[in-house]
Amino acid sequence: MVEARGVTKSFGQHLVLKGVDFTVETGNVACILGPSGSGKSTFLRCINHLEGFDGGSIRLDGTLVGYRERGDKLYELNDRALCEFRAQIGMVFQRFNLFPHLTALENVMIGPSTVRHRRRHTSRPTTWRLRQLLTAVLERLRRLPSVMLEPLRSHRAMRKAAREEALRLLARVGLSDKASNYPAQLSGGQQQRVAIARALAMHPKLMLFDEPTSALDPELVGEVLDVMKDLAREGMTMIVVTHEIGFAREAADTVSFMDDGRILETGAPADVLSRPSNPRFQEFLSRVLH
Amino acid sequence: MRHPGRWVAAGVILVVVAMMIHTLISHIPSQTGRGTQWRFGWDQVGALIFTSPYVSGAELTLWLTFVAMSIGIIGGLITAVLRLSANPILSGCAFLFTWFFRGTPVIVQIFFWYNILSIYPKLSLGIPFGTEFVHLNPSKVITGFVAAAILGLGVNEAAYMSEIVRAGFLSVDVGQSEAAASLGMGRALTTRRILLPQAMRVIIPPTGNEVISMLKLTSLASFVGIAELNYQASATAARTFAPIPPLIAISLWYLAFTTVLSIIQYFIERRFSRGFGRARTGPRFWEVMRRPFGIRRQPSPVPTLVHHTVAA
Repeated sequence: MVEARGVTKSFGQHLVLKGVDFTVETGNVACILGPSGSGKSTFLRCINHLEGFDGGSIRLDGTLVGYRERGDKLYELNDRALCEFRAQIGMVFQRFNLFPHLTALENVMIGPSTVRHRRRHTSRPTTWRLRQLLTAVLERLRRLPSVMLEPLRSHRAMRKAAREEALRLLARVGLSDKASNYPAQLSGGQQQRVAIARALAMHPKLMLFDEPTSALDPELVGEVLDVMKDLAREGMTMIVVTHEIGFAREAADTVSFMDDGRILETGAPADVLSRPSNPRFQEFLSRVLH
Repeated sequence: MRHPGRWVAAGVILVVVAMMIHTLISHIPSQTGRGTQWRFGWDQVGALIFTSPYVSGAELTLWLTFVAMSIGIIGGLITAVLRLSANPILSGCAFLFTWFFRGTPVIVQIFFWYNILSIYPKLSLGIPFGTEFVHLNPSKVITGFVAAAILGLGVNEAAYMSEIVRAGFLSVDVGQSEAAASLGMGRALTTRRILLPQAMRVIIPPTGNEVISMLKLTSLASFVGIAELNYQASATAARTFAPIPPLIAISLWYLAFTTVLSIIQYFIERRFSRGFGRARTGPRFWEVMRRPFGIRRQPSPVPTLVHHTVAA
């Protein structure tokens, strides 16, 4: 589903990604391990274009991420196209990034109830679109009274559907009793589970996890990992940047080791974690696993 | 006695306050040769403070504050959003606007609008008069002068408010807009639903400050002939040759309004702090008052030294 080829990125003078090749199949869980500063989080953020990159390409189901190909040149996508694209990918952050002024339920609801993307047929010619526009306008003028109420009605319907879906998702992560609590009233593990529910609310094809348990108390790590393992079992495509080797061993289909802007080794967790071939990876594992 | 320094300080302050009160209620030989009069003219203050010109002046002051702050807040919000936009032209224009209107004195701006409006006599600006303040006599408040005052105050305020709003947006954690973006929310939606509510927590206190400051700035409108409080004081002083009582009278009006505005600000702050982890924005009033004097039912226990024996 995700194919990255030769991705390079620099922040000013500092070259952070030095040609990353990475692939994830649909329905698989890919873990990225590595020391801090290796560029794992940066690469993850390039996948849903929270960061642009300087070279190489990333494709999601064949579509180029963040740029549009026209002839030979790449054009950066405009804001609206980027938003449509990002709605297909859910992201869970290290610091949760929940919206503090909304309750847990409202946090989960806000995505589906406010984001509305109209499908654009970009391949149609402009004249056809103008004709459609004209007929649509005339039709609207004819139905003006009911049309004026329509956005309100459809908005209300959207909110209702979003609320039911949000309650279902909160139950799925085990937090249905905390629906009307604010994030400040929740523990770290609970906040991260709400964050996962919020990302799932948009029904993404792909879930990205940026060190989801690094900011958690060791006791609370387990509840978040359980939710992630359930997700993996249900067949969600996930890319997880983590330090939890145990999770990688149990739930991952592929484990990649990233160091200094490059992916040094990739493989099945059973092979790679017990018999790493790359010396740098061996050193890292011995330090992490003692 | 615990905290002797506090008691000494309290004593000194009490003596100073007593001296101040004594001088405030003292008498001096009458300037009109008929015995003594109040030094501060309290009888005249009482006579002036609720008379019709002062009351209508107070209403006009409030109205000017309200209108000028509305223009200021809306203008400031728009300018701040432009300033934070990715488009360099919009951002540059917002910066120039802020630079110019913060860089010139308010009274000069008011005079500028006033004179420009007299050069363009046909420019009509449609100021809403039909509010509760129907007591305003239209012949006293000429459209051109009021427009000058409102524009001068409002536009100047917009420049200051834009910096306050921008500070509010900058105070929101960058992870918030990242989270919103990862959900597929566009910039306008993120700004409206995610960033602005959180920015309000940082915007409200300085804005309350600005409203209270605007209340006093409206006194500058008296220099273009608008009959608000300051103008009334000057008029009375010119008439009676006793400048102090009118000044005290308008000061009491300003103080009363400021107090009410501060209370309103407290309640608005509380509403916008919802969800940010504290049940209240601070300790209750009387809890704060009790602390310096150490007045408690039971004194808090002084911890006693416990000797630990360290196992060798």
